Amino acid sequence: MSEADYHPLPIAAESNKNSETEKYHTFVNLALGLAAITGVELVLVYLPFNEIFIFSVLLSLSLFKFVAVIAWFMHLLYDKLLLTLAFGTGMAIATGTFIALGSLISRSNVDMDAITSF
Amino acid sequence: MSENATAHQDDGHASLIIDNKKLLMWLFLGSDCMFFGTLISTHLIYRKLYPESFDPTTLFSLELTSFSTFILLMSSFLMALAVSAMHKGELKSFRRNVLGVIFFGLIFLGCQVYEFAHFVHAGLTLSTNTFGSTFYMMTGTHGVHVAIGVFWLICMYFYSHTGKMDAHESAVDVEIAGLYWHFVDIVWIVIFTAVYLIEFI
Amino acid sequence: MSQTQIETPSPTTTQAQPAHVLKPERSRLGLMRPDHSKSVFIDWLTTVDHKKIGIMYGAIALFFLFIGGLEALIIRTQLIIPENDLITAQRYNQLFTMHGTTMIFLAVMPLNSAFFNYLIPLQIGARDVAFPRINSLSLWTFVAGALVINFGWLLQALEMMGLFAASGPTAGMTDMVPAGGWFGYAPLTSKDYTGVGTDFWVMGLQILGVASLSSSMNFIVTILNMRAPGMKMMRMPVFTWMSLVVAFLIIFAFPAITIALGQLMFDRVFDTNFFNVAGGGQPILWQHLFWIFGHPEVYILVLPAMGIISEVLPAFSKKPLFGYSIVVFSGAVIGFLGFAVWSHHMFTTGLGKVATAAFSLLTMAIAVPTGVKIFNWVGTLWGGRVRFTAPMIFSLGFVWMFMMGGFSGIMHAAAPADAQQQDSYFVIAHFHYVIMGGIFLALVSGIYYWVPKVFGKMWKGTLSNWVAVLIVVGLNVTFFPMHFLGLLGMPRRTHTYLEGFGWASYNMVCTIGSYILALGILLLLVDLIRCLRSGEPAGDDPWDARTLEWATTSPPQVYNFAQTPVIPARDALWVHKHGPENKKITYEADHGHGIHMPSNSWMPLIASVGFVPLGLGMTLMQAGVPYMGYVAIFGLIMITIGLILWAIEGPGGYHLHPEQENT
Repeated sequence: MSEADYHPLPIAAESNKNSETEKYHTFVNLALGLAAITGVELVLVYLPFNEIFIFSVLLSLSLFKFVAVIAWFMHLLYDKLLLTLAFGTGMAIATGTFIALGSLISRSNVDMDAITSF
Repeated sequence: MSENATAHQDDGHASLIIDNKKLLMWLFLGSDCMFFGTLISTHLIYRKLYPESFDPTTLFSLELTSFSTFILLMSSFLMALAVSAMHKGELKSFRRNVLGVIFFGLIFLGCQVYEFAHFVHAGLTLSTNTFGSTFYMMTGTHGVHVAIGVFWLICMYFYSHTGKMDAHESAVDVEIAGLYWHFVDIVWIVIFTAVYLIEFI
Repeated sequence: MSQTQIETPSPTTTQAQPAHVLKPERSRLGLMRPDHSKSVFIDWLTTVDHKKIGIMYGAIALFFLFIGGLEALIIRTQLIIPENDLITAQRYNQLFTMHGTTMIFLAVMPLNSAFFNYLIPLQIGARDVAFPRINSLSLWTFVAGALVINFGWLLQALEMMGLFAASGPTAGMTDMVPAGGWFGYAPLTSKDYTGVGTDFWVMGLQILGVASLSSSMNFIVTILNMRAPGMKMMRMPVFTWMSLVVAFLIIFAFPAITIALGQLMFDRVFDTNFFNVAGGGQPILWQHLFWIFGHPEVYILVLPAMGIISEVLPAFSKKPLFGYSIVVFSGAVIGFLGFAVWSHHMFTTGLGKVATAAFSLLTMAIAVPTGVKIFNWVGTLWGGRVRFTAPMIFSLGFVWMFMMGGFSGIMHAAAPADAQQQDSYFVIAHFHYVIMGGIFLALVSGIYYWVPKVFGKMWKGTLSNWVAVLIVVGLNVTFFPMHFLGLLGMPRRTHTYLEGFGWASYNMVCTIGSYILALGILLLLVDLIRCLRSGEPAGDDPWDARTLEWATTSPPQVYNFAQTPVIPARDALWVHKHGPENKKITYEADHGHGIHMPSNSWMPLIASVGFVPLGLGMTLMQAGVPYMGYVAIFGLIMITIGLILWAIEGPGGYHLHPEQENT
């Protein structure tokens, strides 16, 4: 966006290309990893392990995928901290609200007998 | 294509050197977290309240959903390559990758349409029970996001043929479209686990 | 953004001709840009100038303030004596619903928005907001939402004349205006209990949400990215700081109501079960989702008011704001805590002991940063050379009246007390003290403070004193007796009451007070018109003020500052006027290419107008009007086309050379 963008210096463009090539390898590795994780998840739910164990593994795998896409595909790792803060605040408030709502509305608050259709 | 009062940036006064459009997109995504947070909360709350009212494992096809998850992840990969290509100024490589993203996005949408049709055929509609309401609205909202993304990328693909797309000045435009696309992907990562996978444990 | 795409004559040709003879340029679409249009009407419709947009926000907000006030007066007149039959119960429900909705979404929020638009770029030394065309979209989308939500009145009039009757999904329902209260609790808003009015309410609020979200994101980017050199975050005026907090609150709070409204719409249109009890839906979920938005909304309304007060009090005390950083941080803390207290609106729904205690404690905790602010304001006054000008009188009124609203708020924070006060007139008294005594007084203070800057005219005479006396006396006479009414057991939203309840005399006093208040607001408008018609020229800095907006001309030129200011200190103008030599505001030299101004555009207007057929089509479909589905689709297409053309036409822009104009 600055003046430099209109007339990119050859050196700047060259280093840009190098960093993009580096990123390319990261992207390929990440894509393979994400595909593999999805496969593992699919197999995992059918395995006869402890439910809580499977649940926590699924949760952490999904969290890893989530963070990985944000960090590398979305360049958040390479970008300014402010962007992480802007997104992180939204994410934190959404997660906090989700947890609070989930614990506020539970079977103990609801008169299940009154709901006859279920 | 840059939409801002560039007076400052022309003069080099930007206080933080983050592109305006990129910051706007990240703020939108932060806000969008709240949108999907509310939708997913609603779904899981009703799931927790009425666990025995409906058994989705009879309906869900985990193979199909895993496939569409895989498709969406790969489209995200191609999108990252398209952004990268644009930064390098390789318009041809950009077009190839974007076409791939559009193609994969359409496959995902096709899977979703098939899934919805199958579910409705099997008797689960919007008004059947709370599961139907929350499930269709949540995945439907996600589907609309994907459709908007596909539409955006199609516009961008055609625009790249008009010759007005300069590699350097359009890099940011492509990047924010990419951010949007990746976000749609991560929302699906959450939905895949929280809505589909845990039902099968 | 390269200079090659700015379709302007080269600087050399521009220098030859002054700004007003610049020719309209062609955009990338080959269309003429509506720049420099000779028609004032077209110029204002297509403007991207934050100052014009701010003035339009203000004018429209004042109009809706008038409408909302009229609704309130009818409500109060109905309650003046027991068993009054001025209006029917149905009309009464519609009036209090629309009074609340209008005042919050169509009067106070846009008035805040008017101040944001006008002041933020001036206060941070920017030429315009970060996205001028999105700013224009926000304004017109707000207007579209306001039209959709108020369209019900027209339909209701037709219905009363026997020219229209609802068929289709809401057949047999005679209410065409929202009547479910401003928080529209489920299941009252379901198709079984309310007619097409609720659909207008849902669609109108959705469209207003689009406007609020887009303008908030725009302002965050503006404040973070467009500050003049030297304008560090901790040098920004407090009003700008509070606007930043509010913008963050809006982008994180509005999605909750958007989804909740979407679910309600699905319930009404597609028979889903989100809030449908027969199908397992939980109406309590609506309350949660609404207040997850609704409580931050309270701070969205009040924080800009606090910002205005933090500007006015130092200016008329000749002292810097006491504890600047503490005031800023308390504002941020209020905003953050605002997301963690929503359930205090729902103490009587049976949340469980732990949740009730937690929300009660968190609510009381919010009193701390609020109290800190009040002490800081008092500290600002302490030892200052106080001038009792009109803005100052209203600001002092704010501190006192807002505090009274805060005190009854703390009473609500205690869950056992709240159980007694819930849904009584005590609550009405509380939030009217906050909104009228607090926010409204601050906004009037802001109007008196900044109108000389906006229009370059100075206030005449001492009518403002009468305005202040009438408004403050009026609001106290109206709302103070409501505390007693609440404690005597009068429930809110009561259409009428019986003689022997002991409420009659208090209600009579309240109604008289409301007319005094209305007279005060009328006088405010008279004073404003007098000032605009025959005010003396105000000069750049009539109040001997402290912040950057007073450093430019009154009214400011379209480019705000001829040269970009370099900010050496907090309270930049004050330090410039009275501080040491090395802390003067300096100006960056123009590098010869002039000031780049964004081009006017039709596209935001086209996209926004599309929301009207979309909203009306979707709602009237519910009333069984034929072909409305096509109208809605037409609206959607219009929005899409507007946005696509917007993207293709490019931002454009032209250059101004203020020095040459002066010579």
